[in-house]
Amino acid sequence: MGDAVIGFDLVSKRYEGGHQALTDVSFQVDAGEMAFVTGHSGAGKSTLLKLLAMIERPTNGVVTLDGQKLNTVRPGDIPKIRRKLGMVFQDHRLLLDRTVFANVELPLIIGGVAPADRGRRVRAALEKVGLLSYEKQLPEALSTGEQQRVGIARAIVAKPAVLIADEPTGNLDPQLAMEIMSLFAEFQAVGTAVLVASHDLMLIKRMKKRVVVLDHGKLVADVPATEVV
Amino acid sequence: MNTNAAREARRAPEPEKTRRSGARTVGAWREHHLWSMSISLRRLGARPLGTLLTVAVMGVALALPLTFYLLLDNVQRMGDALGQNQSISAFMKPGLNAGMAETAASALRGRPEVGQIAIRTPKDGLDELAEVQGFSGALQSLDANPLPYVLSVTPKTGLSADDIGRLVESMKATPGVDMVQETGAWRQRLDALVGVGGRAVGLLALLLGVAALLVVGNTIRVDIQSRSAEIGVLLLIGASRPFVRRPYLYAGIWLGFLAGVLAVALAAVLELAMAGPVGRLAAAYDGSVSFGALPAWLLLSVPFASALLGWLGARLVSARQIRRAAAV
Repeated sequence: MGDAVIGFDLVSKRYEGGHQALTDVSFQVDAGEMAFVTGHSGAGKSTLLKLLAMIERPTNGVVTLDGQKLNTVRPGDIPKIRRKLGMVFQDHRLLLDRTVFANVELPLIIGGVAPADRGRRVRAALEKVGLLSYEKQLPEALSTGEQQRVGIARAIVAKPAVLIADEPTGNLDPQLAMEIMSLFAEFQAVGTAVLVASHDLMLIKRMKKRVVVLDHGKLVADVPATEVV
Repeated sequence: MNTNAAREARRAPEPEKTRRSGARTVGAWREHHLWSMSISLRRLGARPLGTLLTVAVMGVALALPLTFYLLLDNVQRMGDALGQNQSISAFMKPGLNAGMAETAASALRGRPEVGQIAIRTPKDGLDELAEVQGFSGALQSLDANPLPYVLSVTPKTGLSADDIGRLVESMKATPGVDMVQETGAWRQRLDALVGVGGRAVGLLALLLGVAALLVVGNTIRVDIQSRSAEIGVLLLIGASRPFVRRPYLYAGIWLGFLAGVLAVALAAVLELAMAGPVGRLAAAYDGSVSFGALPAWLLLSVPFASALLGWLGARLVSARQIRRAAAV
């Protein structure tokens, strides 16, 4: 497996009710690598990310995260798995009654980090996404793009091995979308594995990263970064 | 500072989550509890009216049994005091002389229940009657004193109704005694009444305790429902269910504690209001009746017992509600 932090080995997922979301999908993402998962709506992009976050379990096959086979993880240990992941959602999912600072601080509190370290790391994460001066604001006072950046700061503040994002630019205009994607690329540069689900092919082409293409739940193409044109 | 922060952010991911020393685990546990405490308090403060209403309903519910307990305790004390004031009269058979009355009195003095015995002669009785308006003329027309000797027995203090009953029986059995005027019957009735009252207060406390528990439980349930989205996010970013649940358990503890304090305050106000009239009653009985305040240990333990109720109420609803919220 080498340096793979994300591994899918012949993974299939059939939902209750019979919908076949994924069929025999296999690929790996290494530490410090960034990959896009793309495909039409309903191709299985979200399901793929849900298997990594253990929101769903595969029907067949093995998903590995940071060297750990997720099949054998007991329900009580799912929180530990999720702490290895930074998750970014399309609709940011911030707590609206907490400040920007408190939102970004949450993963550190969950991880049991001491208060002195928390302040330092939250500010570092906020600076990284360019929102240091917004720490005392409530999320509603921010624009959609800024809210998404707070969501990203929250995802990376605990320094997860893997960053996953489900349509993170779905609600943003092209200019902001490009900025957000560039931000993800920066985390890739510091050794985090980044997996982004997106249907925005124009944007993906401009990013020049590896692209995994899904079609009706099957992996139909895996294009290395060097071959993206 | 900013460059340091930036460097910090750029540092490669560390495997720190997998390294777990004992100190770190204890530290995390403490951090979790501190966070839960502060966020639960902040949320209660964020909706003051709802918090106030819950605390008020729960506080009144808990103040009621306290008040009844106070009432009952004072009725009991009054009964004890009045019962001890009452002497029991033994009327000797007519025609007995002073020596025979004295013999009967010394026989009774040996009993453990007896405090004092006063012998009232027929002449004492006649004098007493003469003092009553309108009797003196009628009494003068008597050629002989028809009144018997009377033994006035004052029981020792702190006797139970059963002890008094035994004393009365022994007095009736004493040679020369014609009849005994007992006051024990009303004592027994009062004791029985206080016993019924005590049971009622116990049951009431139980029922109102359950009511307080349900009030907290319902408040917490509604709170969790309104935060289902937030709970979903917390679980997604790696919070365990106990972590998600803990602020709600603390909310239950705070609500319970505040309600307990309110209940004690209400009971104290009622106590003050009652102290005046009971004081006057005491004065009327030569100070032999004293006002019984709620004991300090009870007042101090109510807020903690109430906090426990709040925690229990929150515990009963939270696991289920969080499971539901997580499923959304």
